[in-house]
Amino acid sequence: MNLIDIYIQEVTRRLPEKSREDIALELRSTIEDMLPDKYNEQDVKAVLEKLGSPVALASGYLERPMHLIGPRYFDVYVTLLKMILPIAAVVSLISMIAEYFIGYGGEESVINVVLGLLGKGLVTIIEVGIQVFFWLTVVFAVIERTEKGGDPLTVSLKKWTPDDLKNIPSMPKKKMISKCEVFGSLMWTAIWATLYFYANHLVGVYEGNGGRLEFVTPAFNQEVLLQYWPIVVMVIVFEIALSLYKLIKRQWTKRMALGNSVLQLIGTIVFMVILLDSNLLNNDYITYMSELFTITTLQFKSWMVGGAIFIIMIFGAISAFEGFRKARIR
Amino acid sequence: MSQLLNSLTTELRRGTLTLAVLSQLRTPQYGYSLVQLLEVSGIDIDQSTLYPLLRRLEKQELVSSSWDTSESRPRKYYVLSEYGLEVFLQLKKEWIQNSKELFNLLKGEEDDESN
Repeated sequence: MNLIDIYIQEVTRRLPEKSREDIALELRSTIEDMLPDKYNEQDVKAVLEKLGSPVALASGYLERPMHLIGPRYFDVYVTLLKMILPIAAVVSLISMIAEYFIGYGGEESVINVVLGLLGKGLVTIIEVGIQVFFWLTVVFAVIERTEKGGDPLTVSLKKWTPDDLKNIPSMPKKKMISKCEVFGSLMWTAIWATLYFYANHLVGVYEGNGGRLEFVTPAFNQEVLLQYWPIVVMVIVFEIALSLYKLIKRQWTKRMALGNSVLQLIGTIVFMVILLDSNLLNNDYITYMSELFTITTLQFKSWMVGGAIFIIMIFGAISAFEGFRKARIR
Repeated sequence: MSQLLNSLTTELRRGTLTLAVLSQLRTPQYGYSLVQLLEVSGIDIDQSTLYPLLRRLEKQELVSSSWDTSESRPRKYYVLSEYGLEVFLQLKKEWIQNSKELFNLLKGEEDDESN
């Protein structure tokens, strides 16, 4: 094989099958045109040097972009990455923690639990981060190659218009909903949902026993608690939906404040109905606690239920009020 | 400085390349004859850009191609299509208009300098 053959092969092997032959033929005829009638290797080298690197030449023929994500999609890509990455990290972290506690039998010392969670959490975040990054990049690389060029796009995947400026939050800081707040509320939802569904493993009396926590008795009768699961799931869905709505809107609006109030109201009612169920509290638990505080079981029951209802009502009212207050800020 | 100048010059030329190539394709040309024609007119073209450019123009239906195998060496000839001619004439008008405007702009600059 001489240099010309190798050069042509180096170009064509980077091209799609169907155009190879034609381009090879044309390239050969061009190279021969450029050479003098009687030529030596020096002449061939000079000609090939003029044609330049086979990689560059092949990429010229390919018209395929030599970048993964071009200017048209880059901004959307980065924006989405910044949005999705933290959400994915938090969600996976929450589910990891929940999973951990579900399997937690109380046989490990507290310090070991904390360290275990830290280590596992770090690994989970890194893993999820890499996954999200990879798949989002793949999706955009594919879009880049299927859609033909044009102006850079906005996050709504449309061409920019001055109306887009109206969607950019330029409101006072007090009205803004920070991402931390949204993650916080998502985290809270996950925590109480986990506590609800695994109350028989998690909620109850713990006794310290030489650095270990021993789960003595659950506070609730799990069968009674789980009777209410459909309505509880509804509240969970409602809460998550509101959190996502906050994430998108990024500021308090009247409608959001209204939604929040409805949610608080429903949540409080559901909570009250469940608490007022006379079979809810575990008898062992009531006995244990009333002995602890040296009061009658009945007293303890009314104190606990009344206190819990009082607290949840206060928090619900504060949250509803704050929503309206923030929505009214101009 | 010179490297920046080089890249700026390349950028300036890049857009004109298509126009230069189209202008020479009223009569059928093969790759190397086109290079020579352009070189005679003082247009130094990077060959690794020219050949892919010809294919692209063909794909865009601005030029049509045919293999001539009657001579000892087979050659692929490119020639402007009807549509290509139309586009070329418009592009040419555009370019002349543009360069006039730019010329006036630069001329004004020169006058300022001499004052």
